[in-house]
Amino acid sequence: METPTIMKQGRLVPWLYVLPALFMIVVFVVYPMLSTTQLSFTDRHGTGSASAQCVQGQPCWGVFENYRYALTNPEMTTALRNNALWLLVMVPLTVAIGLLVAVLADRVKYEGLVKALIFMPMAISFIGAGVIWRFMYDIQTGANQPQIGVLNAALTGVGAKPVPWLSTQPLNNFALMMVGIWLWAGFSMTILSAALKGLPNEILEAARVDGANEWQLFWRIMIPMIMPTITVVATTLLIIVLKIFDIVFVMTNGNFGTEVIANRMFNLIVTNVGRSTAIAVLLLVLTIPVMYFNVRRFREQESMR
Amino acid sequence: MKAKFLVVLSSLMALGLVVSACGPAATPTSAPATQQTQPTQASQPTQGAQPTQAKPTEAPTQAASAGGIDCTGVQSGDTLSVMYQWSGSEEEKFNTIVKPFEDACGVKLNTQSTRDAAVLDTSVKSTPPDILFWPSTAITNLYSNKMQDLTTLGAHTENYAKFWVSGGTINGKLLTLPAKEDIKTIIWYSPTQFQAFGYKVPTTFDELNTLVEKMVSDGNIPWSMGLKSQGSDGWPGSDFIQDLLLTLQGPDYVQGIMDGSIPYNDQGVQDAYKIYQKWASDPKYTVGGATGTVNTPFLDAIYQPFSDPPQSMMVKQSGFAGGEIVKQFPNLKYGTDFDFFQFPGAKGMQGGGDNLFAFGTSPATMAFVKYITSKEGGKNWAAAGFDESPNIGAQGNYPDKQLEKKSQMLANAQGFTTDIGDTLGAPFNTAEWKAIVDVVQGADIPTALKAVAAAQKEALSK
Repeated sequence: METPTIMKQGRLVPWLYVLPALFMIVVFVVYPMLSTTQLSFTDRHGTGSASAQCVQGQPCWGVFENYRYALTNPEMTTALRNNALWLLVMVPLTVAIGLLVAVLADRVKYEGLVKALIFMPMAISFIGAGVIWRFMYDIQTGANQPQIGVLNAALTGVGAKPVPWLSTQPLNNFALMMVGIWLWAGFSMTILSAALKGLPNEILEAARVDGANEWQLFWRIMIPMIMPTITVVATTLLIIVLKIFDIVFVMTNGNFGTEVIANRMFNLIVTNVGRSTAIAVLLLVLTIPVMYFNVRRFREQESMR
Repeated sequence: MKAKFLVVLSSLMALGLVVSACGPAATPTSAPATQQTQPTQASQPTQGAQPTQAKPTEAPTQAASAGGIDCTGVQSGDTLSVMYQWSGSEEEKFNTIVKPFEDACGVKLNTQSTRDAAVLDTSVKSTPPDILFWPSTAITNLYSNKMQDLTTLGAHTENYAKFWVSGGTINGKLLTLPAKEDIKTIIWYSPTQFQAFGYKVPTTFDELNTLVEKMVSDGNIPWSMGLKSQGSDGWPGSDFIQDLLLTLQGPDYVQGIMDGSIPYNDQGVQDAYKIYQKWASDPKYTVGGATGTVNTPFLDAIYQPFSDPPQSMMVKQSGFAGGEIVKQFPNLKYGTDFDFFQFPGAKGMQGGGDNLFAFGTSPATMAFVKYITSKEGGKNWAAAGFDESPNIGAQGNYPDKQLEKKSQMLANAQGFTTDIGDTLGAPFNTAEWKAIVDVVQGADIPTALKAVAAAQKEALSK
């Protein structure tokens, strides 16, 4: 029997189907990306060449001057260092805490309640979380003033001295990361918990019959089996952490050595278009490997099916 | 054949999509058509009404000259577009000030309130407001060719101190005059506390130094400082440092920093930072030492000298602090429980306010400029209690003693400077604030100021 006309596709028709999506991507992703890249080679007004930003007697990279700033300016190197620190601390800890809660909550009756509590911060915006945690870390320095910050109230309650959480280096960076972990542990818990529940019971049973204890079961069976999910959670978090901005902006605005890349970009967008967009491009370049890894992983999984 | 059919079909579908997408847009296009008929219908009654309207236009002009408000050339029903940053109670005060003008000239004010420099930028480049009130005078650099000379518009410059007029004149054109100012070069204290310890209000910088040391030896903490302010931590310190500069160096020096002839890491600036660093980071001199200074919100610092028991003796903060003290402690009385004195030895005043600019040339614009700069306008401004008006007509017309005292300090000032940070803008101000926070936490002053001087250069380069 002849194939119905409607099932046949010419060369043009698929393009028509893709057109709306393509249009959106070009307008909202491709064009801004190209425009940003072009602007990163301009001066602070976004009109002349970036080499106009060079200061006489100081090193100058010509049209790449904004990139010299993005890579060598002291505030930027602090920001780059801090972003690396955020990646190294927040991503593993968020995954680990999410996994821990997912595994342990699986074994108790009030699982729903525990998960709801951990998940709740997800409903709060970064800004909101920043404001809340500013109160957590608050310090009163006057004589005999009561501490209104929860942490310092607890410390003074047991007779210890209050700690200036947000102005002491390097403690303040970890204090800020804590907020991020608090926000995102729920995300990692939910996804990992779903993955754990999806594990076929027969395999777990078989392992138990073979004499594996729970510890071995966790490390040798569960972890390897949910590894793809862990990777997805970790890469998602990697991207979120690379772009971290709101928490730092609200709580310290980059003071006391807590600067991060996105906060630099934001602070420069009004005053120095060239530098700000160069930082944006830098951030994009840093995200590309993660995206590439994510896409490749996705393809591998697709092909396995 | 079949393929062709498909192409036609799909392009028809695409067309359908486009048409349906345009659907809502089609309604407005038809609307003007119906409106077009309306003007022709309405035009006849309007023409008929014009003669009757002409009479009222003459009437207000006559009444105006009687009321002391010059409405020359203004037609009743003229509109005037005004842009400013005020809202809420500030906007209400402004409305009371302009009410006599609106009544006398029959002008209707179309006001727009925005704090967004981008909104200002777009409107100046498309349809600029006739009148603009804006805190920064730095916008004269951006829009000088669109701004009108206030003298040509009829501004009463004789009602302003010379330094206001010379300060607002750029390339021979008077582009701006101050509408109101809030003075910053003052220190708030509690007269009750001062009396209890036998402290006298210092009048020279040496006396201030001696007083501070005496307080420390008495076991009192002289200062409370707070640098925390959402998104702009550090600015309260920049006010303090500018007052120190006005005292140790004078207004010309501060002006030099603003025009770039004096780099921000000059010895004079370093000296001011040294004094500030000592006062702001030692727990004997300020509440909580460096930790207190960087972690205390600036409003909390204002409360500290007036809390019970007081945490400190003095706080250096702008005129607005008086209102904040009353809000926090409604029982405290101005004059006995809290008061202020001029930063001792300051050779000029620092302040922040709103300045008058004009983009329009209409008779209504001219009348408005004349009114605001007239003695009458100054009087009404003072009576509304909207900060301090530098207009000499304002003297003696303030509703309360606090404003009267502030306005006298402003009137007696030997010179006036705007806030360096506000004037130079970013990236200078952000670099300055960061340096202040770092210096309070013990950073090396020359190193910290080097970065600010670089930002100063950058802010001044076009």
